[in-house]
Amino acid sequence: MTARAVESWTLQPLTDFVREASVRLVLLMTPAGQVLAQSGFSRAVDVMSAAALGAAIVASTGELAKQLRQPPFAALNHQGHRHGIFLSTFPMSHGTIVVLAVYDLDVSSLGLVQLFYEQLAADLKAASPKGSVPKQVLAADFERELSESLNTLFGR
Amino acid sequence: MADDVRALSAQLAQDPQSLVFLRLAEALRRKGQLDAALRVALNGLERHPHLADAHDLYARVLTDKHDYERAFDEWDMALRIAPNHTGALKGLAFLYFKVGDLQQAETHLELAQRVEPDDPSITQAIEMVRGGASPPSPHPVLAAEPSEAAAAAPALDESRVFAGLEGAQEGLVLLDAAGRVLGGALRSPAGADVTDAVAAYLAGVSQEAARSAKLLGLGAWSGLSAEGKHGNVHVSQPSKDALLLVVRDRGVPLGRLAILAQRATGMAKRWLDKQ
Amino acid sequence: MNHTLDLVTRVRGVRGAMIVSADDGLVVAEQLMEGIQGSAVAALEAGLAGRLRRAMEAAGIGASVFWHLQADQGTLLVVPAASGMLVVAVAEPDVNIGLVRLELLRAGEAIA
Repeated sequence: MTARAVESWTLQPLTDFVREASVRLVLLMTPAGQVLAQSGFSRAVDVMSAAALGAAIVASTGELAKQLRQPPFAALNHQGHRHGIFLSTFPMSHGTIVVLAVYDLDVSSLGLVQLFYEQLAADLKAASPKGSVPKQVLAADFERELSESLNTLFGR
Repeated sequence: MADDVRALSAQLAQDPQSLVFLRLAEALRRKGQLDAALRVALNGLERHPHLADAHDLYARVLTDKHDYERAFDEWDMALRIAPNHTGALKGLAFLYFKVGDLQQAETHLELAQRVEPDDPSITQAIEMVRGGASPPSPHPVLAAEPSEAAAAAPALDESRVFAGLEGAQEGLVLLDAAGRVLGGALRSPAGADVTDAVAAYLAGVSQEAARSAKLLGLGAWSGLSAEGKHGNVHVSQPSKDALLLVVRDRGVPLGRLAILAQRATGMAKRWLDKQ
Repeated sequence: MNHTLDLVTRVRGVRGAMIVSADDGLVVAEQLMEGIQGSAVAALEAGLAGRLRRAMEAAGIGASVFWHLQADQGTLLVVPAASGMLVVAVAEPDVNIGLVRLELLRAGEAIA
């Protein structure tokens, strides 16, 4: 499946990660659920749902860690019957990136995903444009930006 | 049929967004022009990633190219988009049968029959699966008209790759890097022809072996030996783009298997050089 | 488990031994020399074990008892244990394979 990116510098690291870790679906997003890139999704509604839910999990587990007076969890993994879901965050110079990956247990494994996730984080840090200021998105612009992002993510 | 392809190509060139790519790729596939069919299918899939028929088409081409793992993924995707897609159900049934999972094969055919109860090919396939025989490929490729590429390459004399070597027709297989069989054959201990299924899986094994050796700093991999409960296996690379598989029963120890594999590798290298 | 791995690492030419969860590709226990990335070995060998298992099942020769990947500058030897673990040895290319195989099989029985 083709990877698509709103932020073009994420594309090569994402493509490499998908290939090496043999993951089925990946979302790169901000903690607010704004999607930077995706691979493997065929419907916009799935991207939106996954991004919203992933961001919510990161926020709630971050809060849980705070309540326990612990540093934020490094990664979460949920192992289902046929698929695993891996969710992790890492800091970049201009904000945090959230990675949500879904993998087939027959094809990949938590070990492989973790192994190449570290490379993904390193590659994204290296590829990130230096000195850029994060855009302030107004509520009025949000829907238009979301629509444009989804169009880019699905090659429309 | 060549006229069909020309006409469909012209239509697609005029309107690249149209769905005519489905008919064009299918026409090319039936002519045996699999590389061209693959390009057309992929371009169409890029433009229509949520079209189940596009995933089904791509899976059919991949199946013809013996890339069963990716074909499985594509038919799986087609079903996620359109759970009643009979092409995908029949395709998955065929793949499950190829790997010996008769129960799954039958389940998928029965689902297809519920959607299209009047399709005689589904009924026939179910009977064959229940009887233990292989169902026909869901979309058989017709005899190909000679293409330019085929005319340029010399005919492969598969049967003579390992001529004279013990087990040439039941325990020695030469594959290309994409998992397509170049020569030899393989039978399971029960006598079933498992050449294609094993070839498909083996391409993935060799890629993973190469990756492991490279990422762990062990250099280039040169061989993989395995002892199974009912037999032993040796995999090697006679050339950069070919794989050799040798299978013997447990009575042949791994050391002796490696020597046999060396002889077979030499023969395969000489045969590949001639091609 | 460390005592189990001692049996393997004492063989001359073995640079490290590990016990890996085959399903997850995660390290359970390890004794490795400098320069060997345990997590990478675990993840990659679990992946290779899965693919090899499917190929061997398709060939009708059953589950793997022992396998051995040979490369220019080293070798990997693996025994799947009944408990869903893999016992893995990383060794020099000229290691005594028969001896390592024997110790891996013993280690596999110990953790079964």
